[in-house]
Order: sequence, then C-alpha cells, then structure tokens
Amino acid sequence: MFPQFGATAETLSKASTLVFRIGTDAHLYDDPEDGNIVELLESKFDSEKCEALKRLLALIAQGIDVSNFFPQVVKNVASQSLEVKKLVYLYLLHYAEKRPNEALLSINCFQKDLGDTNPLVRACALRTMAGIRLHVIAPLVLVAVGKCARDPSVYVRKCAASALPKLYDLRIEDNNSSIEEVVGILLNDNSPGVVGAAAAAFASVCPDNFSLIGKSYRRLCEILPDVEEWGQIVLIGILLRYVIAKHGLAKESVMSFLHHTETPHVGEDDPTTNFMKEETIGMMDTANSELTHMICRSYIEGPDEYLSRSSYINKGSNTLDSARYTSSKSNDDVKLLLQGTSPLLWSYNSAVVIAAAGVHWIMAPVENVKRIVKPLLFVLRSSHATRYVVLYNIQVFAKAMPSLFAPYYEDFFISSSDTYQIRSLKLDILSSIAMDSSVSAILREFQDYIRDPDRRFAADTVSAIGLCAQRLPAMAETCLDGLLALSRQEIFSSEFGSVDEESRVLTQIIMSIKSIVKHNPLRHEKVIIQLFRKLDSIKVPAARAMVIWMLGEYNTLGGIIPKMLTTILKYLAWCFKSEALEAKLQILPAIVKVLYNAKGDDHLTVRKVVNYVFDLAECDISYDVRDRARLLKKTLEYNSGPRILETENSIPAEKDLQHAVLEHLFGGNLKPVSPEPPNSRFYLPGSLSQIVLHAAPGYEPLPKPCSLLQDDLDQISNDIRGMDLNEMNDSNTSSGSLDEETASDYSSQNSISGSSNNSDSYENGSVSEDNGNNEPLIEISEVGIAPRNENVDPQSSLAVGELMSKTALESWLDEHPGLANKDQSDSNRVRRTSARISIGDIASRVKPKVYTLLDPANGNGLKVDYSFSSEVSSISPLLVCVEVLFKNCSAEVVPEITLVDEDSNSQRDSADQLVVGSESTVPSLSEVPHLVPLEEVTSLEPGQAIKRTIQVRFHHHLLPLKLALLSNGKRIPVKLRPDIGYFVKPLHMSIEVFLDKESHLPGMFEYIRRCNFCDHLVELNKDKSQGAIEKDKFLVICESIALKMLSNANLFLVSTDMPVDSKLDDAKGLCLRFSCKILSSSVPCLISVTVEEGKCSEPLNLSVKVNCEETVFGLNLLNRVVNFLAEAP
Amino acid sequence: MLQCIFLLSDSGEVMLEKQLTGHRVDRSICSWYWDHAISQGDQQLAPVIASPTHYLFQIVREGITFLACTQVEMPPLMGIEFLCRVADVLSDYLGGLNEDVLLDEMIDNGFPLTTEPNILREMITPPNIVSKVLSVVTGNSSNVSDTLPGATASCVPWRTTDRKYTNNEVYVDLVEEMDAIINREGILVKCEIYGEVQVNSQLSGLPDLTLSFVNPNILDDVRFHPCVRFRPWESHQILSFVPPDGQFKLMSYRVKKLKAAPIYVKPQLTSDSGTCRLSVLVGVRNDPGKIIDSVTVKFQLPPCVLSADLTSNCGTVNILTNKSCTWSIGRIPKDKAPSMSGTLVLEAGLEHLHVLPTFQVAFRIMGIALSGLQIDKLDLKNLPNRPYKGFRALTRAGQFEVRS
Repeated sequence: MFPQFGATAETLSKASTLVFRIGTDAHLYDDPEDGNIVELLESKFDSEKCEALKRLLALIAQGIDVSNFFPQVVKNVASQSLEVKKLVYLYLLHYAEKRPNEALLSINCFQKDLGDTNPLVRACALRTMAGIRLHVIAPLVLVAVGKCARDPSVYVRKCAASALPKLYDLRIEDNNSSIEEVVGILLNDNSPGVVGAAAAAFASVCPDNFSLIGKSYRRLCEILPDVEEWGQIVLIGILLRYVIAKHGLAKESVMSFLHHTETPHVGEDDPTTNFMKEETIGMMDTANSELTHMICRSYIEGPDEYLSRSSYINKGSNTLDSARYTSSKSNDDVKLLLQGTSPLLWSYNSAVVIAAAGVHWIMAPVENVKRIVKPLLFVLRSSHATRYVVLYNIQVFAKAMPSLFAPYYEDFFISSSDTYQIRSLKLDILSSIAMDSSVSAILREFQDYIRDPDRRFAADTVSAIGLCAQRLPAMAETCLDGLLALSRQEIFSSEFGSVDEESRVLTQIIMSIKSIVKHNPLRHEKVIIQLFRKLDSIKVPAARAMVIWMLGEYNTLGGIIPKMLTTILKYLAWCFKSEALEAKLQILPAIVKVLYNAKGDDHLTVRKVVNYVFDLAECDISYDVRDRARLLKKTLEYNSGPRILETENSIPAEKDLQHAVLEHLFGGNLKPVSPEPPNSRFYLPGSLSQIVLHAAPGYEPLPKPCSLLQDDLDQISNDIRGMDLNEMNDSNTSSGSLDEETASDYSSQNSISGSSNNSDSYENGSVSEDNGNNEPLIEISEVGIAPRNENVDPQSSLAVGELMSKTALESWLDEHPGLANKDQSDSNRVRRTSARISIGDIASRVKPKVYTLLDPANGNGLKVDYSFSSEVSSISPLLVCVEVLFKNCSAEVVPEITLVDEDSNSQRDSADQLVVGSESTVPSLSEVPHLVPLEEVTSLEPGQAIKRTIQVRFHHHLLPLKLALLSNGKRIPVKLRPDIGYFVKPLHMSIEVFLDKESHLPGMFEYIRRCNFCDHLVELNKDKSQGAIEKDKFLVICESIALKMLSNANLFLVSTDMPVDSKLDDAKGLCLRFSCKILSSSVPCLISVTVEEGKCSEPLNLSVKVNCEETVFGLNLLNRVVNFLAEAP
Repeated sequence: MLQCIFLLSDSGEVMLEKQLTGHRVDRSICSWYWDHAISQGDQQLAPVIASPTHYLFQIVREGITFLACTQVEMPPLMGIEFLCRVADVLSDYLGGLNEDVLLDEMIDNGFPLTTEPNILREMITPPNIVSKVLSVVTGNSSNVSDTLPGATASCVPWRTTDRKYTNNEVYVDLVEEMDAIINREGILVKCEIYGEVQVNSQLSGLPDLTLSFVNPNILDDVRFHPCVRFRPWESHQILSFVPPDGQFKLMSYRVKKLKAAPIYVKPQLTSDSGTCRLSVLVGVRNDPGKIIDSVTVKFQLPPCVLSADLTSNCGTVNILTNKSCTWSIGRIPKDKAPSMSGTLVLEAGLEHLHVLPTFQVAFRIMGIALSGLQIDKLDLKNLPNRPYKGFRALTRAGQFEVRS
C-alpha cells in the first residue's frame, strides 16, 4: 500500500544491521561468495587472507563444498600470522580426507611448527596433524605425539593426549602399543589438565588395559578433584572399572547388601548401620531385593546377556560367590576412590555429579549411599534437559532403594514449568517412594494434579495413585474411595467436550481400580458392586469393557454380586446392539463365565440371555465378534450337552478333559496374584543406554569382578613401589623433566622384564666371536675439521647431488625447511675431539636373525625357517632376498616342497598401496611378481635340511605377505613378516660424505629416538668370569652395537667415533654411523647411534638418529632399529 | 564422544554445522530431527532422542536449537552440559564471532577442551565496542590471540596470572530464588531457597580469598565453582579460593523447609452454569522489612475457557491470544491490597470448570536474603593494597506456584 514506506524500512533495517555488524565477522555469513576469494587468498596481506578464509569457513558452516580452493588454501599454511594458520588448519581438517595428496603437502609445515617456540603454534600443528586422518602420515603423527607428550607446555601435552584417540581411530594395529605407551606417560603427568585428557584417551584407546591405571591408581585418585570437569567424568568411570576388576564389588554396598544379610558382618555396635539395616530390610520387600540383585547383575553382565540367560537358568542359582566381594571399609583402594569422588558431588557440572553418585551407588557402604541423595536432588534445579536425564537415573535408584529418597518426596512435586516427560518421571518416582508416613501428603498433591489442564498428565496421576495403593495396602481403601468419587464426576458421563482426553482419564481410573481390587477382591467387594451399579453411566468403551471383564471375573465373589447378576446380564443383553466393539468382545466371555457358575433357577434365565446374545452376536458386523460367539457357543455345547443330555458316545477321559478346559477357562477360581516380574532393563548410572533403554554401541558393562589376574597385580604393585620412589626423587624437578624421567623409566622396565627369556642367541654370538679376528686397530684422528676428499667415491657424491636438489614438494610450497634447523646442524658440526676406531672384521660375526615360517607341529614335521639375506636381488629393486631353510623333523620323507604366492591377484587397500606406489620410481609396479619362486625341493629325507633363496616383493614394509607352502600336494598358508632392516642395501661412503649428507637432511627428514642398550653387559660379564685379558670396554661396546645393528639390518658401517677426553668408565659420546639406501627408490638413509649417557658397565642410553628423505620409511626404520637395539641379546 | 554439533534456527534451518570427528554426520539428520519435532506437535521433545542413525542431544535456547549427535555410548549429561556451556558462551560472545574458531577451541575430537569462559575470552577476544572501533580504524580484525594464555599452564586454570588493576575491588552478591508450592487448600506445601553466591572480582595478581558465613549450618546442600577448595569446606565450612577474573558463580546452595513466604496470593474460582467467577488477592505477609517490587502473577487459562474479562484495582492485566494472562502489579501499595477479578466464559455445554489453572508468581526483594544466610567476613591475602569489598543481597521468586 505504501511502497515507499516499505522500502525505507528495508533500508533502515539493512543500515542498522550494518551498523551492528561493523567489525564483526557476521556479515560474512550474509553473502560469503561476495568478493573474489582466490584473489584474496593470493594476497600479500594477512588481513585479506583472513577475510578469504573466513568466507570459506562460513561457506563450510553453511554446508557448501568449497574443496576446490584446496591448493590455494594449503599454500597459506606457512603463514606467520597465527590467525591465518588457525583458519587454514580448520579448513584443512574439514577437507583433508577428501584430498589426501594435497593434504600431504602441508605436512612439512606442521613438522616445522611442532618445533615452534610458541606453545599455541605447537599445539595447533599437532591438533591439525592428528586431525588429518591419513594412514600414510600416522607414523609421523605418532612421533609428533610422542614428542609433544614430553613438551614443557601443559597445553601442548593436553593436545597430545587428545590426539591419541584420533590416531587410534585410524586402526593401525602396529601403532597400538606405542599409543598405549604414550597414554601411560600422560596418565602419569603431574598436571591435572593433562591427566583429564589422558583419561579420555585411555577410555577410547585401551579401556581394558588396567595395568596402566594400576601403576598410578593412588595418584589418580588424589589428583581427581583437581582434574578439569570433563576429564573427571571419564576418569571416575575408569577408576570404578579398575577397582571392580581388581577387588570386586563391595560387600557392604547396596548391590550386594541384601544377599549377605544372613552373615553378620556389619558392625553391630554402629547404631546408624543397625538403623539402616533394619530400615532397609523393613522397607525393601522381596521384590526390591530381587530388583537390586537384577540391577547388580545387569551392571556387570549387561542386561541383554543377563535377561537372555536368566530366562532359562534358575534365577536363584546365579548369585555371585562371596570370593568376588571386597570390603569398602577395609580395602584401601575402594576407600580412596570413595574419598576422591565424594567432594565431586558438589561439582557445578551435573555430569560429574552423576558419575560420582554412580560410584557411591555401586561401591559405597549402604549407610553412606544416602550421601548422593542431596546432590542429585540439587542437580534437578538446572536445565530441563539435565533434569530429565537425572530423573531417569534417580528413578532406578528410587525403585531399588525407596528409603533413600522417601524423606525427600517434596522435591519430586511437579511444577507447572515441567515438561510432560519430566512430569511422568516424577510421578513414577513419587509412587515408588511413597511411605506410610508420606503417602497422605503425596495423595493430597495428586488430587491437585488431577485438576491440571493437561489431561494426559491427569491420567498418569490416576495410574500413579493405583501404584501407590498397591505398594501400601493400608491406603487402598482411601485411594479406591477417591478414585470412585472421581469417576462419578459428570464430565465423564456427559458426551461432550474434549471427549478423547477425558475418556483417557476415566479409562485410567477404572484400570487403577481394577489393579487395586485384584490384590484382594474380597475386601473390595463393595467397590466392585459400585462399579457394576454405575455401568450405565460409564460411556467410554474401554472403561466399560474393563468393568464387564470384572463382572465375569468376580461373578462368584461374596454374597451380593451373584444376586445382581441376572439384572446386569439382562441390561447388557438389552444394550448389546449399541455397544462398541471392545465392550461386545468382553460381554461374550463374561456372560459365559456367569453361565458356567450359575446354579438353579438363575441358570435357566442366564441361559436364555446367553442364547439371545449369541444370536445377536452371530449376526454382528464385526467378524471378530461373530467368531468369538461361535467359538464360545461350541465350547458351551460340549459343556452343557453332557451335563443335561448325558450322551453315550463321549468317552469319560475326553469328557474330563473338556471339563478341565472349561473349568480352567470359566471356572473363575481366583488365583493369588503374583507380583509381575520387573522387566525393565538396567544400565550403568549416567550412561546413555540407561536413557534410551537399549545398549548403545560402545556400551560396556562393568568388568567382571576380580577379573584382573594375579600376576598382573604383582607387576602393578611392583610398579607402584617404583613409582613412589620415583616421585620422591623427582618431587622437586620441573614437569618436563619428570616426564622424561618416567618415560625412560618405563621403557627400561620393559627391556629388563624381557631379558631373562632368551639366552640362546647370546651363545651363538659367543661361538662366532672366538673365530673372529679380535685384535682391533685404534686410529686417533681429528674429526670434523678437514674432510678428506680423496676418499669420496663417485657413486655417493652423485647421490649427494640428488639429495641437494630440492624436492618437488618444497619448491611447490616455496619453502626452505632447512632454515629452521640450520642452527642445530651447525652446532652438530662443532664437536669435540674424538678418536676413530676401526673394528676388525665384524662381518664374519654377523648372524642374521632367524624367524620361523612354519612350525613342525603345523607342517607335519616339516620345519621352515627364514632369515633375511644381505644379498641384493638382480631382478628388480623391489625384491627382497630371503633365505629359507627347510628341515624335515619327521621320520618320513617329505616330497615336493615349494612356496607360492597365496593369491597373486590380491590387492591391498589403497592406502597401503599409496605408501609404496606414490614414491616408488618403478613405473610397472604390477609387473613385478610378489614372489620369484624357488626351485622345488624334490624330496627331503628325515633330518635333512636344505637352504633356498627366494625373492619377495612385500606390499608394504610393515604388513606381512601371505604365502602358501605346497608340500606333498597339501597347501599350508604361511605368513612372511617383513623386516624393514632389509629393505635397504649397504651404501658405501666415507665419513666426510656421510657428514655432508647429514647436514643436507635436517628438520623434518631427521628423527631421533632413544632407547636402552645392554648387550655389552653380557660380553663384559663373560670376560670377567673367564678371567681373560680384559678387553677395552669401549671396544666391547662398539662391537656389541655394531654387531647388533648389522645382524638386524643390511647396513654399511661408516665410522665409529669415540670421545678421547672421556673418563675411564663413561661411554658418553660414543658414536657409530651407518649408511644404506632404500632398495626400491635408492634414496640414501643415514643412521647414527650415539651413546647419550651411561657407564660402560651399566645399561647405556642410546640415541638413534635417522636422516632420510623418505620420512615415512625413515621413521619406520628408526622404530625398527630402536626396537632391536632395546631387545635383550 | 560427540560427532557433530548443529545449530538450528526456529524454522529448522541449519545455521551452523561443526563436524568434530572423522565420522562425519550428514545434514539429513537435521531434517529428520525437524520432522520428528513437527510430528510431536506441541509436545516438548525429550532431550535425548534415539534416531535411526544417531543419538541426539538437544537443548533449546531463545529459539535456537543446539543439537549434538553421537553414535556411541557416552554420558548423556556430558553432551547436554556441554551444549549448555556452548549456549552460554555463545550468548556471551554474540554479535560477531567466528563460531568455528570458538567451537574448535572448546572441543577437540568430540571431547571438551577449554570451556572456562575467562580463558576462552583471552584466547578469542569477544567482540566489544572497542575492538569493533579498533578494527574499523586499523583494518585489522583479528580476534584470535597470538599467545597462549598463561592460565592454561598454571595450576589455577581459571585465572590469568598477570592481571593488574589500579583499584582492587571485590563484590559479593547473594542472589536467592524462592521456590514454593501453595496447594489448593492454601497450604504451603513446599518452600525453599535456591541461592547463588556471585562474585565479581577485579583483583591484581594471584589473590587468595576466604569467605565465611555466620550460619552455614542452615545450608541444605551446596555446589561449588571448580576454584573452591574442598578441604576447608569439609572441615570448617569456609570457602577458600583463588578467584577467576571478573564475574563468576562461586557457589550455589539450597535452604529447604522454610516456614513462610513473603507474600500471599489467594485465587478463588466459582463456576456456575457456563460462567466462572475468578478473583485473586495479593498481599504482603510476614513483612520482610524491604520493599517488594516487580510483582507479577501469570497463569494459563484452561482450553475450555472461551473468553475472559478481568480487571484489577492495581497494575495491568494482559490476556494474550494463547490464553496466557499476566497481571503485572509492580510494587505492592501500602494502603490497599491488590486484587483482580472477572468472569470467564466456558465452552457451550460445560456447566462447571473441571480443570484449574496454576498461578505463577514473580517478585523481587532487594537488600535481603530470605534464606537468612549471612556472610561473616571476607579475608583477602596476597594483595598489595587494601581492596574495596562490597556485599549485596537480593531475593526473587523462582518457581513460586499457587494452585487454585
């Protein structure tokens, strides 16, 4: 009408929004496409880049696919501005999975950022790197996480903890043990914030690895109140599981209290206990004790298992044996848990309160459980959603132990702001906690509810009244009177208004009356009579049907009802035509029941009525009614026939049977009503499953009590002792160094525990040593000052040239990753004077490790071992040579043995393919066979052994290759496990070339790990015991390390340096360098092993450094090297 | 763990989507949710819903639905509580923020990361007038801080270490809400106080505060901010804490079984042959000695009432189309008792009113804590100069209901 007004208003509102949004980012959401995003991304200014990135994120948030900007965005990852970085990270996380190849390009930058001085940048880089879910970079992430787990910044350590589940999500089995190791480190952190995140990682990575918890259980309990709230929730659950797995349930707890009442273990002198005991026993009838038992079993087994089992096993038989119980009063661990969780009941976070309450509910002594009541009720004062969840949990507690909540019934009174779900939960709780003392107040309250405008709620109230009356028989009279009075209200008889809702209330009233009466029909005879009298005024079909059912059911009851019957029947017959279907279906059986019990004169009258009704029913519109009428008529003929006509041909037995059937159907001998078995399911308090009432994926019931094995326990207790000592020693050191300390401690424990297992290999070594040329030659020189150029052979200098050329990756990013670490490499170059040692011919002493391919037990006496050989395949660089040793251990000749590829067509999944494929230089990957078959072994005599060499192409340097061994026509599947140490071949080079190359591979191409080494100890001890001329300890160490390296990987020993100014017994500074190149790609790979600290006669702490352009390979190789170095001889 | 968070507008449109883990949640879950919400009609949805593919947690704040999805078992309260925090923080920040950055800082891989508002504010500056003006003038609109707040590393993660104020001030407010139910017979069925100790601290350095009450034994139950140390409370009922900076809730408490409410509301309903006469009387009972103001009485007319004609001798009466009535009285006058009366016309054929409305009463009393809780003293340690200490009290009605 006034277009100009409208227009003004529009511009006005636009202007005002503009004003409000100046300086905010909200406008980006209005029109994110506006502006040329690509141009902005290419801009020189950070603010414009930010603008573009924010637009992209706005588009993502609106669900639009903007992955086509990926390359431009990734380029910006190297930006110096933290905001740009953060925004790029967000973008990357969203799209990395879709564009894995491009995402890989950004890895470089993360690696660099991980070394940033700003902890925020480090944390950010780690979070993003872990967030990019690519299998290829998993090893990199693992190393990064390991590094960050020891970071001095708490925030970074926290992020490291939360990166673990992401890493675990990739499901790379090989990583799991390393991940768990890091979890263990972080759980021991002394910052509560980190512990919280570590707990979350624990719960999702290895929830059953209780040995990790056992080590620091005590500390975790003490730190619990300081952990941040979200971590508390998870940690409480973990500690509870641990305690139950270790000690079992507490015998004083609600869960088991009732089954142990006969054993007098409760302190009789304790008045509260006695009081509680009496009270509890008094209030909990058998149904409830059964209920708690059921809840307890459900918690431990999961309700599905429990319910399915209990359906065929006698319920009484499956009580837990008493050995599974512990005492929450005398057991320190349980006490500690309860002490740690009780202040959490005061937390602001309702999830924490519920979790803490759950612990007390399951473990606390019965008399202390009431401590959880007030906090739980207090939580009810928070948001609707919270209230709903908490009430669900209270409902279970209240049903199992009504006495807990009985005094607090007022808290469950309904306020008008409650939603319908909350109201019905509260009603249910109220009806289950009503006591003789409180029931009158509750019923008064219920009376108010019945007048509530929400009629559905009113109907629920009526049913709650019914439940109250059933629980407390003393109140039955009052309740019935109230209900009857209610049913008399005119609104139910008038056929008007919101009929649907009112009829629901009325139906519910009758239903409640019915259920109350059922418990003691004789006592409530008058109520039944009143209902019958009012039949005329009850118009709602469902309610009417129920009254009619009662007529049939109670027709013989007392003295008055039988006299009324004929009148009622006549009335029913009269209005049968106009009845609703429901009522008709009830009238038919009811009148038959009456007929069956009718005697004398009544019988005839009733019979007439019945026949009349049957006639009507057989012509009814509903076939259901017709069918029912015919069926009943037929049954009745059998019954009344013999009685009246005495036919000859019916056999007595058959007659009896019919009689029995009839008696059963219509006899109406009222059976005592047994309480209905509770059929609800129970899940752990506070769980999602308890709310949705089915086991959500990932729901785990409590562990089986005392399922933690005894030897685990011993180990744990030892560890605890160790931990305590550690803590005492380190109490003054800063957090970072503590981490370092515990970490190394951890790995040393591992290596020591394994040391006693195998001494066989050691003997092999000693035998070969005797043959060896054991006089070494020592040559002292200054290293690192004048490189001797004449020694550089042409092959390796070429390799250097290749190396120095920047990879495509870097040039693409226009980045100089070398710069960051330049300082470090410079400092490396300035080293102290050291002596160079040449070790005598060590090659002859190298014994490659032998693995078993086939056990004689599985191979009918044929034993197949294999070892990786240092030979290099002449066919293809992708092939690895493996020596296979066949030995016949049986007493018979084994003919025709050969090894073939199990499935030559098998393709690995693409991710693994990518590792080999993306970087390999050989184009025709698929043309190289998996296995160059060996010549068949025609026959093998008993005891004979034969050696063959096969050449194998592994799909991946970590995954085993499946082969099949054909022998004597049989096919035995075997797995050939790769050893990354033999995916390389020795690369001869001089020390100068080595150092030069090393300096070109800094930063992300360089990885360092530490490990402990103790091979030399064996050697030294042996020397001592033999009393031989004492060899130089340093030499022994060098030899042991070199031997170990060369026996486990195909390497070239470049040099051995020994510090000259070292003290007599201090091996620090000893350095061995090895070089090799990767078989498939000829990329050089440099390994330096340096002794970081340690006395000659003690285990040494080695640091192993790998420099390799292929980072993934290098990392895996490093892991392998560290593993075998730490392995016991 | 949570997999995704959606923010839906009141028309069901997805305003924000934040994927949290590698297991992406498709947007179709939102349309399923919306269809489900519509199919439920005007009934409120349960906060935890099991959809065919996901479990959903939902809360509604000011027309915006916060929806979180998960596929695996997790404590439902954790999801709900987190959504509440998100809603709180968002409304704190609302105006201009990059929600994505904010959410990213709050949750990592479905597990909450930083939810302490004081720290968040330092990492991601909330937009305020100053920053707006600055950004317009300088053209630099970064609100992501470059440095990690010191607090994330300290043992008191809720506080930054290097705060400096010229005027050191600390204010302690007792804010109480009275919940009461008065039943049909006019009996006070339930009357209790839900109170909060709100502190606004502007103190330099790392102060250590101790707050004690005269009568802590009247407290029925308590909940604390994470900064409160549990031990001193357990042993002496003393609140000892290092406060976060700015405004925060130090403690909430409950005092039960109060004997009297400060005001009375007496509704009366008499119905006869299709019409119903309603009268409500309001007045001061047990004068608390302070002025009672902002008194309003709200109620919902039953659906069977066709029309209503209500007048009052004090304040205004409003009847909305959805049959909700509000009687705003304001301050209760000294000289006369406010009353409202009128007639309700019932649906044709209905003789008597068989359902009765509940009256929700609101009021506010400044300067008094009706629970009777009294602060004894507040001691401050670790402060260079004597700070200014301020104390206030306030009581208002919470769920104060009168049934007719």
